[in-house]
Amino acid sequence: MADLRPSEVRLEGNSWTPYLFAAPVAIYLILFQFYPLAQEFYLSFTSTDLLRPDDNPFVGLDNYAFLFEAGDLHNVLWITAIYTVCCVVFAVGFGLLAALLLDAPFIGRGVARALVTIPWAAPSVAVALVFTWMFNAQYGIFNHGLRALSLPFGAENWLDNPLLALPAILFTTVWQIFPFSSVVILAALQGVPHELREAAAIDGADRFNIFKIAVWPTIQPTVFMLVLFVTIWSLRRFDLIWLMTQGGPIGATNTMVIELYRQGFVYRDLGSAAAIGMIGLTVALVVTVIYFKVTLAAERAQGKR
Amino acid sequence: MTASPISHTLRPLAVLALLGIAAFPIYWMVVTSMTPSSELFAERPNLLPSLGQISIYGEVFRTIPVARWLWNSFVVAAGTTVFSILLAILPAYALSRFRFTGIAILGFALFATQMLPEAMLVVPLYSIFGKLSLLNSLFGLILANTAFVVPVITWIIKGAIDGIPLEVEEAARMDGCSRIDIVLAIVLPLIAPTLAAAAVISFFHGWNEYVFAQTLISSEQLRTASVGLASFVGELSTPIHAVMAVGVMYTLPAVIFYLFAQRYVVAGMTAGSVKG
Amino acid sequence: MKKVIRGIMLATTTVLATAGYVSATFAKDKVTFAAAVFAEAGRGDRVRAWIDTFNKGQDDVEVEPVAIPFSSLANTVFTQMGGGGGPDLIRFDQTDFFAAIPSGRLLPLDNLINEANFKFLAPDRFMKVDGKRYGLLFDTTGYALLYNTKLVPTPPTDFETFLKDAKAQTKEGTFGYAYRATMAERAGFWQDVTNFVYGFKGRWSDGKGKLTLNSPDVVAGIAAYKAVYDAEIIPKGADAATYRRMFWEGKIAMNVDNGGVAAIFNQNAPDLPFKVAPSPFPDKAQGLIMTALVINANSKQPKAAAKFLNWAYAPANQSALLQAMGTNVGTDVPLTPEQTAARPWLAAYAKAMENALPQVVQGFEDKTPEIQQIVLEQVLQVLQGGASPQQAMDKAQALAERRVRR
Repeated sequence: MADLRPSEVRLEGNSWTPYLFAAPVAIYLILFQFYPLAQEFYLSFTSTDLLRPDDNPFVGLDNYAFLFEAGDLHNVLWITAIYTVCCVVFAVGFGLLAALLLDAPFIGRGVARALVTIPWAAPSVAVALVFTWMFNAQYGIFNHGLRALSLPFGAENWLDNPLLALPAILFTTVWQIFPFSSVVILAALQGVPHELREAAAIDGADRFNIFKIAVWPTIQPTVFMLVLFVTIWSLRRFDLIWLMTQGGPIGATNTMVIELYRQGFVYRDLGSAAAIGMIGLTVALVVTVIYFKVTLAAERAQGKR
Repeated sequence: MTASPISHTLRPLAVLALLGIAAFPIYWMVVTSMTPSSELFAERPNLLPSLGQISIYGEVFRTIPVARWLWNSFVVAAGTTVFSILLAILPAYALSRFRFTGIAILGFALFATQMLPEAMLVVPLYSIFGKLSLLNSLFGLILANTAFVVPVITWIIKGAIDGIPLEVEEAARMDGCSRIDIVLAIVLPLIAPTLAAAAVISFFHGWNEYVFAQTLISSEQLRTASVGLASFVGELSTPIHAVMAVGVMYTLPAVIFYLFAQRYVVAGMTAGSVKG
Repeated sequence: MKKVIRGIMLATTTVLATAGYVSATFAKDKVTFAAAVFAEAGRGDRVRAWIDTFNKGQDDVEVEPVAIPFSSLANTVFTQMGGGGGPDLIRFDQTDFFAAIPSGRLLPLDNLINEANFKFLAPDRFMKVDGKRYGLLFDTTGYALLYNTKLVPTPPTDFETFLKDAKAQTKEGTFGYAYRATMAERAGFWQDVTNFVYGFKGRWSDGKGKLTLNSPDVVAGIAAYKAVYDAEIIPKGADAATYRRMFWEGKIAMNVDNGGVAAIFNQNAPDLPFKVAPSPFPDKAQGLIMTALVINANSKQPKAAAKFLNWAYAPANQSALLQAMGTNVGTDVPLTPEQTAARPWLAAYAKAMENALPQVVQGFEDKTPEIQQIVLEQVLQVLQGGASPQQAMDKAQALAERRVRR
């Protein structure tokens, strides 16, 4: 049923309808997103102080040049890449597992589903504070637990260690964002046809094959879309990292957004911040284009099956 | 589905493990809020809250305007939810059913906007809002949040509409329904679970949003809970008990909202046939 | 379905109606005063009460205190100021104050307040740049050694003794000392490093336009910072909020910190036996904390704001403010014997202030945040990355010079 492509159907109607349908959102986005974006693009070629945003002496590519030369940009891009890939893999993966677990009927399922959204509902400031406390080297519960299990480590400075800081931040981030994936995938799972599942079960397929044949094709578009969104959001996630490590120690968690924020609001250099923003936007655009190419190829392959 | 005895015990265990991971940090917030200061640095950690300290919640409620913060957050979150869903339905339908010039651009534009960090947008947005007199109002904040959320839920709703067979709509057109009627009366009920998911996504975004709430609102009367919580982290010291207590109070309403939104999902499922 | 739609419409209208609520206009002139201190546990309420006495005492001006989270005060207010808005009165810390001046966002106060009427403390001289006064000293304090008398009966007077005492005290869950060494607390980390550097006679610049980040004295200060780190006498990774709490729970023996912290200790643990002594470094100079009370150049109520300023600096009100803040305020306030007994640390801190220097890089005030980031990253390389202090500071000097030349 889901194979029917909208392009193959011609629904009659007023030819203005599509435009009318799309107009409110378009106007809204132009005003609140594109206009600021255009401004930022312009700013990236100027030297502008946060306190004087209207004063924009043109400096051409100077901001970009300085960033590439002395701005430690390759570390920033590298950290951003690792952070993003890990976030997507673990958050979507874990979210999928959680959604599958919560899909089958059992007593208290409704409450369980609600409880799973707790990480998502928790405010970033509180999450940052409690996780920082849990990661505390001397008194944090994580280290207490590790010591109790008689593991060789147990006095780690998680957030203060250049090697452990990124994993700790990733752990906290994935904890906070996996419920989003669960909620979306759960909704998609409701659309899996019962008959398909039963048919596969009657044919004697085991759990894994039921999933592969009956469930996955239905939720695949959703999961792919989730991957794209989580990727793009990870590229711009700010709160937790800033509150927990501010990009430290020694740049171990310095993603693009952190660097952008520091340039714009700590150094008050809006021009450099905008330049980083433009670089980030380019990266995100490249990712999106690659994503579309991949999914189009995958859909074509599926259509042939 | 044949379930073996192993999976019978494995599943509940897995669910419990999942819930444990999800809920433990919040539980820890509760414990920390109720652990006396002198015991925070003890050799062995207190795994249970000291119930004698429960008065902290009453104290926090009395001395700090938590109720007002939570109300403001609720207004912003609810407003964002309503607004963004209303704005997203029509473009989602258009993206799913129509082919017209500009559709590719619209679709792509919706993605592009997700790539912009709030930190980057807040400066130009502040001056736009200033010119439109939208500063220091919850309504302005709702508008700003909606702009960020609409793209996501448009795509999610589009995905759900994609899954509805066109025969259903064609039948309605034969009966002489206008397009709008089709969208509202026929399509929407069929995608109820997704609408509920969209509602949850917008609500949670509006509930937790910090950067805009911080900069666009300057009056303490209109402060949202996210900013209020951050204001505790003081220059010199942080009252960890109060912060954790407020953190707990801040998390629960959103979870309860999901509980209710979920009820609607179940009702939506039994009312209409979603599975094709 | 129709019911649902109607329900949604009703909900929308209700929500928008509530959201669009506009507050009633007041008969008095409203002036907003933004500061991080208003949200601080304990102090915040006292300062709000202090402002309240002004509001109740006259009918022309009402000052509305607005608490802004400390970590984002500068960003928020700068964004608002840049956009043409912002609060009328602001309490800025020194880095932000010096940053705001060149951009012309602060209203010069020379015409609004008559200096001769008030006896400002020495640090007030930093409020004037190029002959114009841009702010009034709001509160100020120096740094000194806070020590738990039960754990350390006599305070150390030089660095070697200090290390020895701290090592002796690190046992059974207690630590001898604490300071900041994480980027997450950039501002505080800078303050602590600056104290060590100043204490070993180092200065960040020569005051004549040249950075001196790799001068021998600065390097000595950094080496001392590393010595403390390597001695394993601090709770590594703990943030200031945590180790200050540890101090008043008796788990830390010594801590070089400012007068506001002494007030916090006293407030949270009135029975804690602690005293204040000069910092155990070769040189007496330490960092100076000072905040400036400024009027936003965008303000639509400069005269009303000025009225509050004149009230705030009257001697009686200064005395009340000192009681509320727990640290020294902008003018010289004579203390009664009871007040001195209630706050015995004030005298020691007043003495520390005599030799205190601002924590900004003199001559490079508005580039200080960038220099901070560079220096602190190099210090972290020394502490955790195994770099030698000289190497690291040479690198810092090179990077910083490149930055300021831009």
